Amino acid sequence: MADWICRTLRDGGLEGEHAPALTINDTISCPLGSFVFDHILSQLSSFICSQKSHSNGIVLVALSRSPLYYEQLLKGKGYDVVSSSFGLLYGPVGLEEQARGEWEHWESPPRSSVTVSLCKNVKDLDELLSSILELGKELSGDGRRRFVVAIDSVSEMLRHTSVSPVAALLSNLRVMVDPKSDKDIFIVCCVLITDEVSSLFWLLHSDLHETRATAALEYMSSMKATIKQMVQPVDGHKANSEEISLMEHYLRRGKLCVHVKRRNGRVRMMFEELHVEKSGIKFTSVSSEDEITAQSLVPKVQFNLQLSEKERNDRAKVVLPFEHQGFLPPGDGRTIQIYDGRKSLNDGKAETEPTSVQKLDSNKGEIIYFRDSDDEMPDSDEDPDDDLDI
Amino acid sequence: MQLFLFVFPFYCSSSEDIHQLKYMAANRPRGGSFSRNLSASSTGVSHIPGLKHGPNGTMFLSSGIPDLDKILGGGFALGSLVMVMEDPEAPHHMLLLRNFMSQGLVHHQPLIYASPAKDPKGFLGTLPNPMASKDDKSRVHETEQEKGLRIAWQYKKYFGEQNSEQRDGKSEYCSDFDLRKPLERHFFSGQHIDCVSLRYSADLATFRERCSSFLSQVPRNIGNITGGRIAIQSLCSPQCEYSNEEWEMLSFVRSLKSLLRLSNAVAIITFPPSLVSTTFSKRMQHLADTLVSVKAIPDEDKELAKLLTGYQDMVGLLSVHKVARINTQPLLAVELYASSGSCSVSSKTGPTFS
Repeated sequence: MADWICRTLRDGGLEGEHAPALTINDTISCPLGSFVFDHILSQLSSFICSQKSHSNGIVLVALSRSPLYYEQLLKGKGYDVVSSSFGLLYGPVGLEEQARGEWEHWESPPRSSVTVSLCKNVKDLDELLSSILELGKELSGDGRRRFVVAIDSVSEMLRHTSVSPVAALLSNLRVMVDPKSDKDIFIVCCVLITDEVSSLFWLLHSDLHETRATAALEYMSSMKATIKQMVQPVDGHKANSEEISLMEHYLRRGKLCVHVKRRNGRVRMMFEELHVEKSGIKFTSVSSEDEITAQSLVPKVQFNLQLSEKERNDRAKVVLPFEHQGFLPPGDGRTIQIYDGRKSLNDGKAETEPTSVQKLDSNKGEIIYFRDSDDEMPDSDEDPDDDLDI
Repeated sequence: MQLFLFVFPFYCSSSEDIHQLKYMAANRPRGGSFSRNLSASSTGVSHIPGLKHGPNGTMFLSSGIPDLDKILGGGFALGSLVMVMEDPEAPHHMLLLRNFMSQGLVHHQPLIYASPAKDPKGFLGTLPNPMASKDDKSRVHETEQEKGLRIAWQYKKYFGEQNSEQRDGKSEYCSDFDLRKPLERHFFSGQHIDCVSLRYSADLATFRERCSSFLSQVPRNIGNITGGRIAIQSLCSPQCEYSNEEWEMLSFVRSLKSLLRLSNAVAIITFPPSLVSTTFSKRMQHLADTLVSVKAIPDEDKELAKLLTGYQDMVGLLSVHKVARINTQPLLAVELYASSGSCSVSSKTGPTFS
């Protein structure tokens, strides 16, 4: 699933469509969202560096982790992202580290043409939008190049502003891709998608916000990746060390649930397990099929609605009363024969009622009736249905 | 001179019947024991292609989807407010809006469209075109269906009646739309179409003014009646500035409803109930005359595929929660079969409901 997501983000949106947007959601019970974010970021960087995608660069809005971290991350993966494909926009976090003097080497990287820009006021999202667009334009070379935007944490943005401006920013970035645009800017860092943005993704810690805010951001996105806790097996009494190691084991594992809004309006749900190790993050497909049962919209039926072969044949043989009533073509001289249920028929009609309790062996149905007494008024010919005008 | 009753109850009925719909409604409108005498004085109205008489002195205009019209008992009543509850995971409400707007343009009814996008005019390019001719196709389909059925009682004589009734005037009142083709340019020319962007409006006051002037052009008690259509998409969308002010939005909808009652227009408002508080959502639902919700279906769900026929073609589910009751207390006796309604959109035709 993670690979599928990366490929979708790499390919971007079709012309005339909104750009694909991914929300990475995690909670305190399974705080592995940043690992997934890093994984997607590095995957996209590799696609870009190896020229496998239409995008030309990534603009990263780093609001919760410093730019140094990202440089080290991508360098560690072996991607030479500093060659005009990486734009960085950093916020207050970066400033703190800068004040501490940790950024000295970052500020003047010898070979880099990494465009770094400082976002001075995180509350002003219009300014942020324009800086992202500018950065993206700088990244793009000549010709049709687009960029991916990644936002390191929308939760940081929501600390400073309310949901409406953030949602407006995201939707501005997602507007329909202009097919005639010559500039493609990739912004990968933050979530931003504009005319030239090919896709975007962002990280959100959903338990830090109200459900409305989370719902609004998920409304803005076309894919939602939620990281949930793995179900821990309940064990009996175990030694303390074993418990701790089990807990550690489970802290590094999680379940990735992806909801994708497809173009035809359906929702696809996919599941995967993730496992964070020293070397990185690994995704494995989920083993048990129980997880995949989607919420059923139609209740389960407990009874059998299908007919067996014999039942189907029997049903076909049943002559329904009044079946041929009144439907002969006008030129036909035959009179209509109405089966009114009283005359016995030659084929085993009585037998073919599947719900009938009296299943007789003989072909003819028999009704055995003993009169209570001879004093009763004879009503043998009185059929209560006689007064119906058939 | 026709005399219309002008005193409408100004409350919202609190009892809602949730109809999960499966089948087509009966064609004959069954209202209360009193029905308007549709004599010579009203023949003028019946000739207007976009409108149709309904029970209890109401008039209907089409939603653009023939099956939905049948389910609702004829269409949307003039002067009513239709609410569509969106599913944030699926864009099905856009389908309803598109058909509604296209139908209005085909019948030359004035239209106002509002959305949270920066450029709402772009949406007009996605409106579908009416299909060329489908009469032969529908006729063939019905006779084929009859052959497969074995009827026990006297239903055949009733079926014959329904078929002939359906075909007369159907192509005029409600068109079948071809979603593959955009609406032809000649439908746009000379039309009164207004597109409003709600993105940057801090409150809805200016939009309220525009609606009010729009509705004053289609008032109720003037002989020359055309319908008017208002389509508002995603009213509570989070990117709009007013979206935090719930009371503003409620008062806007309420004033719109009061203006609608005095005019011959229908308004459709779609809103995503999961993005607003439950109390607000409930109030909006109560304000609606006709309440409909759309829901996405999961993709590649084997259980659903077993239980629902036509799962491959289905894109979503539509539920009708409330049908407009104007000039009447009892619920309109729309004949429905209880099951879940599914909307299928094939690439050729517009939405059909089964």
